[in-house]
Amino acid sequence: MNRNSNKALVQSPVPFHFKRGLGIGLIITLLFSLGSCKRDHDMPDFGNEPIELNIPKGFPYPSIPADNQPTRNRVELGKRLFFDPILSRDSTISCSSCHHVDKSFTDGLQFSFGIDSNRTTRNSMTILNSAYQPNMFWDGGVPNLEQQVLAPIESHLEMDFDANKVVARLKVHPEYPTLFRNAYKLDPSVYTLTRAIACYERTLYTGRSRFDDYQYYNISSALSASEQRGMTLFFGERAECFHCHGEYNFTDYSFKNNGVYLNYVDSGRARITTLSTDVGKFKVPSLRNVGRTAPYMHDGSIATLEEVIDHYNSGGQPHPNKSRLVQPLNLTVQEKQDLVNFLRALSDR
Amino acid sequence: MKNKLTYAVLALLALSVTFTGCEEDEDPQPQNPTTAELTFHLHTLVGNNSVAYGTTYQTASGRSFNISDFQYYLSNIVLIKSDGSELPLTGKVILARPTQTAYSLGEVPAGNYLGFKFIMGLDSATNHMDPTTYPAGNPLAIQTPSVHWAWSSGYIFMKVEGMVDTTLAANGPLDLEYFYHVGMDMFKRNIDFSTDAFTVTGGVKHEIGIEFDLLDVLANVDMRTENETHTMNNMPLAMKIANNWPSSFTLE
Repeated sequence: MNRNSNKALVQSPVPFHFKRGLGIGLIITLLFSLGSCKRDHDMPDFGNEPIELNIPKGFPYPSIPADNQPTRNRVELGKRLFFDPILSRDSTISCSSCHHVDKSFTDGLQFSFGIDSNRTTRNSMTILNSAYQPNMFWDGGVPNLEQQVLAPIESHLEMDFDANKVVARLKVHPEYPTLFRNAYKLDPSVYTLTRAIACYERTLYTGRSRFDDYQYYNISSALSASEQRGMTLFFGERAECFHCHGEYNFTDYSFKNNGVYLNYVDSGRARITTLSTDVGKFKVPSLRNVGRTAPYMHDGSIATLEEVIDHYNSGGQPHPNKSRLVQPLNLTVQEKQDLVNFLRALSDR
Repeated sequence: MKNKLTYAVLALLALSVTFTGCEEDEDPQPQNPTTAELTFHLHTLVGNNSVAYGTTYQTASGRSFNISDFQYYLSNIVLIKSDGSELPLTGKVILARPTQTAYSLGEVPAGNYLGFKFIMGLDSATNHMDPTTYPAGNPLAIQTPSVHWAWSSGYIFMKVEGMVDTTLAANGPLDLEYFYHVGMDMFKRNIDFSTDAFTVTGGVKHEIGIEFDLLDVLANVDMRTENETHTMNNMPLAMKIANNWPSSFTLE
């Protein structure tokens, strides 16, 4: 039941509780038009009581900063900001430009486009289930969703702007000041801007795939024979995928060098730590919806899941930091196909 | 009835305030003030010249460059009292820019001091605070231009940017943007003036004049070949610069 409203929130750019909001909105509109300033009269107010997030079955409730507990007004404000190009210098790029709702919040490209047709140097990661990430980005450089908001705004290759200048735009906007006050009882600021977007992002989950039907809902027909064989390989000691891609989100959030290169143009985790032992290590990504988030790896250099399996089957390049879990697997053609089929069964229904 | 009483009380209060106000005017200061405002007077220099954005300067070897942004953090300021004990000015952070020279450190006790010391940069706790939680105007808030790394969540202790002539003979135009962005916990440096005595007289604002010279910061840096560090991407250059900070500060 709750799951449905969550789904609507994930997939539709229209406010997820639009109808209920309409009723409340009407009453509030009436109240405001009676005694308040004109500017507020058509601002939606969805309520600011703390709400409980709709978490997929089998997932823990995420830890949320005390100062950014979700409310409908906060989530709706963050959602509006997420889709608003006001964040970029020339007002052409929004968060959703590289995190498409219909591509599981990635963009399907090897590298993403910033303003002025700039290209990023890493593949766009999904935002789904980001509430569980202990740190942000492929290199883990930022500790939480709130602070993460600053990075794409300031990146010269992405929005190429300045958080203070975004705030200046929001302050003179005809609607945002009211929406910020309704959500945080504060004016637009770097603080409330980053809180609101993070608050929206914490409502985005993926967790109802055919694998979940099989595993958590006991629907044994949910996976085909090939997918079940793939699952056995995935969670077995021969292919060993689960060591890094385990548990409910199919990641242990560690940083690993998986032998994609002998020489890394992008030093990965070492960019943050400066340690030579971290060169070529990147965040282990979640495999949920992996069938919809091509291309793969930190630089989008592998186009298909079949090629990803071929990479791991080969054992990868002998980089000194390569994880010892990445070794030649000697999988048969059928086993490789079974693994790919299982990975595709991790997509939300 | 109640209202009338309230008005009467208010009127009386107003009168009494007015009277005490007059008395205070006659004697605005205590007889012997025991504190005074202490100020850092910071001069950001290139050799003998004050830094002005857009002006062309010469390195010690005669290479031309200009400056478009210059910001640096001073923190953990500690005064050394006459008995050798330390008086930390807790929480005081200065974001210095060439466009400003006076930085108030607040009221300090009057008396003789053996000297003072501070950190160039920030301590690790402060360095990893969330910059979005500071109100606009605070030195640790997000600045324009920014002195915080959005992609690695730490502050840039010293940011200097501009254009430099990279021709071999050092006789060409300013043809390349240079970036010296130095931060990271390991690169904070202690700046020690603990034997430079001064006296603070109660009620009299005291100014400590300090010079910070970019030519000393770049003393062993060849701007032709060493013109970019965002710290993590060029640790040797970042370290070279950080190691030069202590000798780049002098008292006026």
